[in-house]
Amino acid sequence: MDATIGIPPAVTDETEAFWTAAGEGRLLVERCASCGAESFPARGICRSCRSRDTAPAEITGPGVVYSYTVNHQRWLPDLEVPFAVVLVEFRGHPGVRVVGRIRGCDPDDVTIGMNVAVGFEPGPGGFAIPSFLPVADGD
Amino acid sequence: MGSDLFEHRAVISGIGQSEIGREVHRSGLQLTLDAILAAVADAGLTLDDIDGLAMFPGGGAANLPGYANGNLYEVQDALKLTTTWRLGQVEGMSLPFYGPAQAVATGQARHAVIWRTVKEGSAARNAGGRPAYGSTKPVAEGPLAWLLPVGMLSPVVQVAPYAMRYLHDFDVTREQLAWIPITQRAHAARNPDAVYRTPLTLDEYLDARMISSPICLYDCDVPVDGATAIVVSAAETAADLRSPVRIEAMAGVVEGRPSWEQWEDFGRVGHGAADAMWSRTDLRPADVDVAQLYDGFTIEVVWWLEAMGFCGPGEAADFVEGGHRIALDGELPLNTWGGQLSGGRLHAAFGHTAEAVRQLRGEAGDRQVEGVEVAAVTNVGGFEAGASLLTRW
Repeated sequence: MDATIGIPPAVTDETEAFWTAAGEGRLLVERCASCGAESFPARGICRSCRSRDTAPAEITGPGVVYSYTVNHQRWLPDLEVPFAVVLVEFRGHPGVRVVGRIRGCDPDDVTIGMNVAVGFEPGPGGFAIPSFLPVADGD
Repeated sequence: MGSDLFEHRAVISGIGQSEIGREVHRSGLQLTLDAILAAVADAGLTLDDIDGLAMFPGGGAANLPGYANGNLYEVQDALKLTTTWRLGQVEGMSLPFYGPAQAVATGQARHAVIWRTVKEGSAARNAGGRPAYGSTKPVAEGPLAWLLPVGMLSPVVQVAPYAMRYLHDFDVTREQLAWIPITQRAHAARNPDAVYRTPLTLDEYLDARMISSPICLYDCDVPVDGATAIVVSAAETAADLRSPVRIEAMAGVVEGRPSWEQWEDFGRVGHGAADAMWSRTDLRPADVDVAQLYDGFTIEVVWWLEAMGFCGPGEAADFVEGGHRIALDGELPLNTWGGQLSGGRLHAAFGHTAEAVRQLRGEAGDRQVEGVEVAAVTNVGGFEAGASLLTRW
């Protein structure tokens, strides 16, 4: 499944660290030096205590699928379908939800509550996009 | 309650629509002028009375081909209007008449027109299908920067995970929710301006192709070409108006995280707006005679039924199953013009508002519900939510 057909992100001062780390296979969120809360996406301010003293921090997972959809519509020429898109949350990391694709399983086998590992794959415009991988319970 | 509410100093005085169809061979500007001229005449006014102009969305805010038409400058020039108030609104407008009502209630204008013109039907045809969101721009900006690169290329895909979660949390089936598009299609059959008027069966619904699970073709509104204009007037001018409609209460609330993928629970999307609206009126859900609830997708109607208190959280499936309660002769006639699912995606509750005004005036033709005193109109665009009650003058 090729995920490179699509529309690439505009990169901003706040999101540059995320997209750079994505290319290295790492998932970065924003952590507050004052209260320790994590925010995503990065806004340069803590969404819990509003401190401006924040810095990138890596999350390694695993994550849990909050919900998903299987897209069947070819919105753009050459878009490969069907594919599943998942909204993933992380135990112990309230305030972080990341949207991405999922690979390594049939799209119809995705379920709410399934455990997934952090991963990335080539996306539009040469960017690496979040692309999660199923993991067995207890892994 | 609330004789000092600002919305009581405004009335909806006129509605007008252009020809509406899957493809209408008229420019966006001409469709816009058709609707404005019809709305001003409907109000019992002349163009010389109009001193406020607004459009939705404002300039440049076009993420979809055919999304925004009728340039504010060109319309003002074409109609030779002098304005004391103008507004080019982008997302954030909770209801089409909210901004104009603020203008006339505060004396910035006496009679304000707002329009919404779509050419999305033609654009979809030209694209060989419904085009991707954001495809008018080379890169995905702002909140879309997280969605489009991973393949969430349409609002359908963006709302679908929340629909999936709703079905999961409340043990609801697609067969139950199908009664929303099926019943609205039956209403559209009585509306000569609706784009889809042949009956829709449960089997046809279940056999329809999936767009983004659990949302199938018939759960999506229909891209069309068409314009709707609404005239909002100062209440003190009521004696000059043909058939004004009261704004009993309205509110727009954005709560939670304003982004498609970060919203904590989209099932709660209209609750803040509805609660704020109900706090401005003594009327209660049981007083509503017709409900024009925004239906970009079937699931948005589900959420509005619950947010407005027509049923409890998780109870909408039981409420709509079989279609009896939401039929024209039911306890809560729903989207009596067919809604956007069958009447066409006129967007941002412009079509819903026009229908509410018709029902309150008794001008809804074969689909008229008897004795309508109170109409609910709601709008939602992702996380933007607005709720209102309109009442007979």
